[in-house]
Amino acid sequence: MKIGILASLLYYKYQSFINNFFYELGCEIISSGETNKRILDDGVKYCVDEACLPIKVFHGHVYSLRKKSDMIFIPRIMRLHKNEFICPKFCGLPEMIKNSIPDLPPMIQDTLYADSKDGLKNWAFSIGEKITNDKIKIENAFSISLKKQIESKKGIKDKNYKINVALAGHPYNIYDDFLNMNVVKKLNRLNVGVMTEEKLNEEYINRQVLKLYKKPFWTFARYTYGFTSYLAENKLVDGIVYISSFACGIDSVVIELIKDRIGSFPFLILKIDEHTGEAGFDTRIEAFADMLERRKAIEDNISASW
Amino acid sequence: MKITFPHLGNVCFAAKALFNELGIECVVPPPNNKEALEIGTLYSPEEICLPFKIMIGNYIKSIEEGADTIIITGSCGPCRFGEYCELQMNILKKLNKKVDFIVMDVPSDIGIKEMFSRIGKISHSSSKSKKEKIKALYKALKIINMIDDIEADAHYIAGYEKNTGEAKRFLNKCKRDAINSKSADEMINILTEYKRKINSVEIDKQKKPLKIAIIGEIYTIIEPFSNFYIEDKLMDYGVSTKRTLSPSWWVKNTALSPLRINSLDIKKASKEYLPLCIGGHARECIGEAVIAKNEGFDGAIQIFPMGCMPEIVSKAILPTVSKDLNMPIMSLIVDEMTGEAGYLTRIEAFIDLLERRRKSVLFRS
Ligand code: SF4
Ligand code: SF4
Repeated sequence: MKIGILASLLYYKYQSFINNFFYELGCEIISSGETNKRILDDGVKYCVDEACLPIKVFHGHVYSLRKKSDMIFIPRIMRLHKNEFICPKFCGLPEMIKNSIPDLPPMIQDTLYADSKDGLKNWAFSIGEKITNDKIKIENAFSISLKKQIESKKGIKDKNYKINVALAGHPYNIYDDFLNMNVVKKLNRLNVGVMTEEKLNEEYINRQVLKLYKKPFWTFARYTYGFTSYLAENKLVDGIVYISSFACGIDSVVIELIKDRIGSFPFLILKIDEHTGEAGFDTRIEAFADMLERRKAIEDNISASW
Repeated sequence: MKITFPHLGNVCFAAKALFNELGIECVVPPPNNKEALEIGTLYSPEEICLPFKIMIGNYIKSIEEGADTIIITGSCGPCRFGEYCELQMNILKKLNKKVDFIVMDVPSDIGIKEMFSRIGKISHSSSKSKKEKIKALYKALKIINMIDDIEADAHYIAGYEKNTGEAKRFLNKCKRDAINSKSADEMINILTEYKRKINSVEIDKQKKPLKIAIIGEIYTIIEPFSNFYIEDKLMDYGVSTKRTLSPSWWVKNTALSPLRINSLDIKKASKEYLPLCIGGHARECIGEAVIAKNEGFDGAIQIFPMGCMPEIVSKAILPTVSKDLNMPIMSLIVDEMTGEAGYLTRIEAFIDLLERRRKSVLFRS
C-alpha cells in the first residue's frame, strides 16, 4: 500500500516515528518532499485565506500527493502533553483539508491524545489495523518506531561561533527551510551560531514557566517561553530570533509574554507569510547580527579594561 | 472594593444587579464604542484578537471611574481567551494602573479550593448574609435569562411586525430603562413589563420574512459594537434573526458541561462535519448552521474577529455545509480596521441574494 506522508507541520518533530512505523508495517512511503514554490502556491490557492502560512503550506503538501498515494496520513493531533493543547487548527486539520481540497484519496485521520503511552499505543493500533491484521507486526512497528523516535537527534546547537542566538518558534517554522528562507544558513553566514529548544533540558523550561500567573496551556507556548527566557536570563546567548507566522494566535500571546520577561534583551521577531520578501527579511537579519556584534565588542572592551 | 468587568452583551444587566444586591460598589463601563476600541488598540499587542482590545478599553474607562478590581471569566484553552488575563494584567501593570484581577477559571483547571478562594474575595467584601447572597445570584441569573429572551424575541418578531420598527424600539427602551433601575427587583419588574410589551407587538402571520441565523465567534456575535450592530440592521430590513449563543446560553452550557449533557442538539447537528470540540465555539458554529436549515432559515451569517483560530477552521468547513444544505452562508471578518461601508454593502448584497433565491423558487414552482 502506498501511503502519503506530508513533510510538513509536526512531521518535523516526529518524522522518525512516522517513517519507521509505516515502513515496518510494510507500506510504501510516498513523501511530499521539501516545501517548494509550487507547494506554497497550491497551498495558498486551496486553503482558507485567513489561515496562517504553515497551515497553507500543509494544504499544498496534501495537494501535491493527492493523486500519488492510496491513503494519506493526516492525523488529528489534540494533545502532546498532559493538560496541554497545541492549536485549534491542528485539532480541526482533517476537516480543513477535506473541505478545501477536492478528489482526495482516503485519509488516515485518527485522533491522537499523546499524553500517555496508552493513548499513543491505542492510536498506533487503530492506524495499524487499517493496514494489516497482524497484531504482532503492529506491536513491533510501534516499539521500533517509538525507540527510533526517542533516539533521534533533534535540534541545533552550533559550536565555534563568537555570537550565538536562540532560534525560537514552532518546529515547522524553524526546520522548513523554504518557509523560513534558510534562516539558519543566513545566520551562520553572518557568523552567528544557533541553538534551538530541543537542546535545553526540559526541566529548565518547566521551571521558567512557574513564574507566570497562569501556566500556559499550549505546548508550543511552554517550550518557547521557557527556552527563550531561560537563555536570556542566564545570558547563555547574545540574542533571540523568533520565527513566527502572521496570524498565529499562539505566537501573538507568547511573544508578548517573552517581551515582558526579558526586558531589553536583544529580540528579533521575523514574521513570515506568503508575501514576505526575501530582501527585507535579509536586511533585518543583517541589522540584528550587526547590532549583536557591536554589543559584544563593547562588552569585550569593558571587561578588557577591568 | 469597586468592581468592574468587560462588556459582553447583556451581562452588564445581571452584573449590575448582582453587585447591587451584594452591596458591592460596581462600575459598569460605558457601552462599547469607538473610544474603547481606540484605547484598546493603542495598548494591546497588534496581532491579538479584537475582543481583547475592546476589553482593555473597557478596563481603562472603568478605572478612570474608580474601579480597582476587574472580574473576568477564564478558560484553559485551547483558545487564546484563556491567556487573556495574564497579558491584560501585564498591560495594566505597565500603565501603572493598580487593579486586582479576579479570574473565574473553571474548577477542573485550577482546583476547587482556588476557585472558592477567588469567589471568596468577592464574597467577603459583601456584608450580606449567605442567604441574601444566594438570592442575589438567583436574581442575577433570572435577569440574564429574561433579557436574553426579550432580545431573542425582538429579533425574531422584527420580521413579522405590522408597524415596522416597533420591536426594535421596545428593545432599546427596555435596555435603557433596565440599566437605570435602582435594584434587582425593579429591574426584574421592568423586564417583565417589556417582555409583555414585545410579545404584544402586532404581527402579521401571513408575512414570510427572510430568516437568518447569526453564528460564529461568541464575543463578536454577542457584542453589537464589534459587529456594527448587525442584528439592529437586520431588524430594520425586516429580517428575522436567531442567535443561539448568548450569555445565558453560556451559563447553561458551562454548568452542564461537566456532565457532558450540554448543547446536545448542537453536538448532534455538527457531528458529520466537525465531530469534536477544537476550542472556541467552532463546533457550535457548524451545528447552528445545520440546525438553522432544519428550522427553515434562509441563510446564515458567520462573524469572527480577524485571526480567530477556531473560526478559521469553521470557515473552511462552512462552504461544504452550505452546499450540502443548499443554504447560503456568508462569513464576515471584523477587526479595528474594518470599514463600515464595505461591510454594510456585503450584508445588503447577502439579503438581496436570499430574496432572489426565494423568488426564483416561487417562480419555478
Ligand atoms: S500554532 Fe500558529 S502557526 Fe501553528 S498552526 Fe496554529 S496558528 Fe498556525
Ligand atoms: S475564539 Fe477567537 S476571538 Fe476568541 S479568544 Fe479564541 S482566537 Fe480570540
